[in-house]
Amino acid sequence: MHQSLSVRPTASLASVREIIDHLAAQDRTGEVITAVHRIPAREAQWAPMPEWVRPELRAAYAAKGIEQLYSHQAQTVAAVHAGRNAVVVTPTASGKTICYNLPILNAVLENPDVRALYLFPTKALAQDQLAELHDLGQRLDNRFGVFTYDGDTPSDARAAIRERGHIVLTNPDMLHAGILPHHTRWTRLFENLRYIVLDELHTYRGVFGSHLANVLRRLRRVARFYGASPQFIACSATIANPGELAGRLTEADFDCIAENGAPSGEKHFVFYNPPVVNRYLGIRRGYIGEASRLAQEFLKRGLQTLVFANSRLQTEVLLTYLQQANPAAPGQPQPVRGYRGGYLPGERREIERGLRQGRIRGVVSTSALELGIDVGSLDAVVLAGYPGAIASTWQRAGRAGRRSGSSCALLIASSAPIDQFIVRHPEYFFGRSPEHAFVQPDNLEILVNHLKCAAFELPIAADEKFGGIELAPICERLAEAGFLHRSADHWHWVEQAYPADAVSLRAVTSDNFVIIDTTGPPEVIGEVDFSSALTTVHPKAVYLHQGQQYQVERFEFDERRAYVKRVDLEYYTDAIRYTQVRVLEEAETARLTCGEPRRDAGASRTHGDVLVRSQVVGFKKIKFFTNENIGSGKLELPENEMHTTAFWLTLDHAFIESLPFTVRERQNGMHGLLYALESVSALLLMCDRRDLGTAVGERPPSPETGLEWQESPIGIGGDREEQEFFEPNLYLYDAYPGGIGFSEPLFVAAGLLLAQTRELIASCACERGCPSCVGPAGERGERTKEAALAILDRLTV
Amino acid sequence: MTIDPQDRLSRISAFRPVRRREPLPAGSVAEAGDRLAYLLGAEVGRNRYGEHLVARQWYSSPEMCTPDAGVLRLLLPPGRRVAPRDAERAVLDASDPNQWLFLDTETTGLAGGTGTYAFLVGLAWWDGGGLQVEQFFMRDHAEEHSVLTEIARHLRARSVLVTFNGKSFDWPLLETRFRMTRAIPVPAVAAHLDLLHPARQLWRQELGSVRLSDLERHVLGAESLGWSRQSDIDSSRIPEFYFDYLRGGPAEPLAGVFQHNRMDLRGLAALAERIFRMLAEPEAIEPNAQTALGLYAISSILNRRGQSSRARSLYERALAAGLPETIDLRARHELARLAKRERDFGYAAELWRGIAQSSGQNFEACEQLCIHYERRMGDLAEAARITKNAIAQVHRARRLGLMEPQRLAQWADRFERRLSRLEQKAARPQRLARALQTKGGAPGRLLVGEPTQPDSKIV
Repeated sequence: MHQSLSVRPTASLASVREIIDHLAAQDRTGEVITAVHRIPAREAQWAPMPEWVRPELRAAYAAKGIEQLYSHQAQTVAAVHAGRNAVVVTPTASGKTICYNLPILNAVLENPDVRALYLFPTKALAQDQLAELHDLGQRLDNRFGVFTYDGDTPSDARAAIRERGHIVLTNPDMLHAGILPHHTRWTRLFENLRYIVLDELHTYRGVFGSHLANVLRRLRRVARFYGASPQFIACSATIANPGELAGRLTEADFDCIAENGAPSGEKHFVFYNPPVVNRYLGIRRGYIGEASRLAQEFLKRGLQTLVFANSRLQTEVLLTYLQQANPAAPGQPQPVRGYRGGYLPGERREIERGLRQGRIRGVVSTSALELGIDVGSLDAVVLAGYPGAIASTWQRAGRAGRRSGSSCALLIASSAPIDQFIVRHPEYFFGRSPEHAFVQPDNLEILVNHLKCAAFELPIAADEKFGGIELAPICERLAEAGFLHRSADHWHWVEQAYPADAVSLRAVTSDNFVIIDTTGPPEVIGEVDFSSALTTVHPKAVYLHQGQQYQVERFEFDERRAYVKRVDLEYYTDAIRYTQVRVLEEAETARLTCGEPRRDAGASRTHGDVLVRSQVVGFKKIKFFTNENIGSGKLELPENEMHTTAFWLTLDHAFIESLPFTVRERQNGMHGLLYALESVSALLLMCDRRDLGTAVGERPPSPETGLEWQESPIGIGGDREEQEFFEPNLYLYDAYPGGIGFSEPLFVAAGLLLAQTRELIASCACERGCPSCVGPAGERGERTKEAALAILDRLTV
Repeated sequence: MTIDPQDRLSRISAFRPVRRREPLPAGSVAEAGDRLAYLLGAEVGRNRYGEHLVARQWYSSPEMCTPDAGVLRLLLPPGRRVAPRDAERAVLDASDPNQWLFLDTETTGLAGGTGTYAFLVGLAWWDGGGLQVEQFFMRDHAEEHSVLTEIARHLRARSVLVTFNGKSFDWPLLETRFRMTRAIPVPAVAAHLDLLHPARQLWRQELGSVRLSDLERHVLGAESLGWSRQSDIDSSRIPEFYFDYLRGGPAEPLAGVFQHNRMDLRGLAALAERIFRMLAEPEAIEPNAQTALGLYAISSILNRRGQSSRARSLYERALAAGLPETIDLRARHELARLAKRERDFGYAAELWRGIAQSSGQNFEACEQLCIHYERRMGDLAEAARITKNAIAQVHRARRLGLMEPQRLAQWADRFERRLSRLEQKAARPQRLARALQTKGGAPGRLLVGEPTQPDSKIV
């Protein structure tokens, strides 16, 4: 355990230093290593074990080497013991499980009727906690039952879990579709439900968080039905607003414990910006190549290394490189493995075990390994690209050196603007966390879906509310559509379908595409969700799985299947998506002002409701290693339509006219500006770039003619037609139906957004635009950077 | 440019109806309820929770059957967590036909869960030499408590449930409904006879499908039952009929649902009589081509319940009557296992030999024969010969792709290992004998071909 003093020989120390020194020596310009941040080893802040802890529990912990608590643990358990909701901010390896296990086990030992529900964002995390609780259980004569309940739970074990599980470990998806709709089978649990644990709280943001908030509304409603009002204990990685997030998700007040009392070993955090190879075009050496080269430096010195990439595609590319460099010895398993969501569960467990046992020397992973799955302590973490949020970056970096000893985390910036911003502004990263997690529990699209599930669980009373929203008018609509029927003072579910099946907490639809390898006898090799399917397994796409290339031979949209065959090609594919936006309603609009004294900037800012149509229309073939575009293809895939919210800038016609550029150059400038705006927005909103979409369109002259669709191809290298907008709208929309609350904050912070975007473009070392600011010069067209800067100058200075 | 809140709601895709609904004539639920009562000759029932609709009918057939305790023991398997004494009490309770309550529900869906309602619950019991049927209907969700109260009342009077698939569907669903009231306790059930399981064992081979309506037609004899399913409704539309009715739609389709439910209850009672008759005295069934499958099915049931000697004689009768090829093979397999369990090794071996020689991949039979020759006959040479033969069969099956490669690999592995063990075993006593001879002593007692005790090891 982390609190016992396990002294590990730090043979890795010399190697880590050696690599850092080696890197620094090579960096003659000082532009490559932008930060070497040493986080010194830190002493523990201790607090005594509280008086109220029962002797047998105290003994069980003592036997594990835990006789006193860290200060943050002591504060959290005190708040819980006093009956308050608590959220504790815990970096990796700070002993968060004690924060909830201690008070809950104590309560169960005092009263064996007490029940608790633990929610983890993934199944794997629940499995991990199960091992810890079983260990404690054995030390306590198995006086309590702990079970995981998820899709893998055998059906004959389920009845026993419902009756005898004091602590049930599950995930939001299972709670949503497996437990709540069958709550009568869980009477024992709900009647005695005293505690709900929300681990990895910061992951519940955006769409997932907005869904979870509604699942928790349903959970509290069912608990109320059985006369229970449970208390919440939450754990979060470092974000700016953990208390606010916990409150939004649960609609309750929390004690927030943010001071960490756990010790940690020395750690080096290195920022690495790949060297510029073409200053004219602003091209840097490819970060994936750099990541594999540097990861190899760690691997060849025998350091156990975890490489994080930001997409499945990159994971597979990196894996291909590293497996080539580290071939398996004859008859031995692969020393370097891949790890991501699409792999089957058995494969993933095997990899986790291999890492813990040291049999596996390196793993290339997506965010799947970011959360607290126990893979033991690693020597080095290489981040290929900025993970998109500071909290995620710290969590991934925390995978190295969980215990004592020296370790290293290396962030390799891609040329994406957000990466360039971070790598050039280390103070932003190492300072106080500026990241806020946003959720929108009252997104109607999400809320109505959960209301249907809620009606299935218990009839809706006429005066019920979700948050501040009256449910009666919505129920009325659902009754008209044939989902509900009003009888006396309640609405009842009157459909044959089981509503939870139609609602996925993680994506727009619950549809997954199955990938079937037909090289030999047909075999399912993985799954992709609906939204990524259109861009990753479209016809002729090259799909990568465990470093092997597959080409999609047949794509059955209706059947949700993609048939692939193994191939050996020198390229991979990248989809091209086209997007159109129509304004439905302006919520708020204002003129932009700038300068001192303030004057009108010739443009306005607005947020409101929009309709977005998008379609994948083709793909490009990109050559490995050189990233050359070596061909393309057309696709005919179904169009996707979505209502959402957007923030947009409208440039006056006079403003456009005053720009000293050609029509084409102005267009280029606007697209370049949007590219940079999207990056900076993602940074401010703590969201993934994919959570936002962009488009340029004509501002509708009047509402009547506003119904025309406007073309706006997005996707670098698309065949953009030359087209002059009279008064263009530059849209940044929430890439989720109904919106998840990004548009209004952007509207409010428009001044900051524009200033930071100008800073990003102006400080970029490239001459004519590059992927780090306005997009790659070669593909953006003439004078993009100049035009974008000219627009921003007029808007901000 | 503004949109009103109603319009905002209209854009939410979650409001999109799941199915197209025909426009319904304007009417109120109350009117439709009256019309339904009129169509069915039903009346309004009342209790402390309010009103509901109840339709009562008496039929002269089917007549009461007398449940034989032996058959009940076959049909009421002791559960994993049921003490034998409790199981025997259930048999005793179920032996009284006046305790039987036939139950069949019509529901708002098949998905289960807390949002599925049993809007019509049909109950039936033997009374006055015929069958009394009572159907309880909620005209609206608000009447559910009242309906459930009636069900609980009837279960107090007759606590042996008889259903068709009720163990996995109707009863858990009603349990959920009772729990949802937080007021009416789940009624106690002394025994639950779910006839789906024996029906499946008895007739699936023969009919393929064992839906109640199929059993009525092919097993019970549609003409002799006194009703016809010709005008029966499409049961998949039952929830839809109820939803339309709730919205003030016509009552006629629901009258069809009542009719359907009554036929299910009467079919259930007739089926119970039939199953009890078959199982009570299977020995009395004349073995012939028509009854062969039935005899086989009954032997399997007896075998599973540990009534070995009866099962054995019935297997033999079924085999003698002539079974279809695959079933014949399966029957001989089961019989051979039974004989082995009863230590009738000679008979078992004879059966295994027969199976091993028939076409197809009968590796289990080969293996059993090997064990027989090796352990019981001590004939290592014959065991090795059969093993070699089996290995050849496995290779042939692999070449022709007759079985899953993975399972074939397992068989190949088992036979290979057996063969090498047999060869070692055969070599060992010879070495020992040679050793003894060179020392000038008499040959040892251990010789190839000498019978050894089963499972004994050669030292």
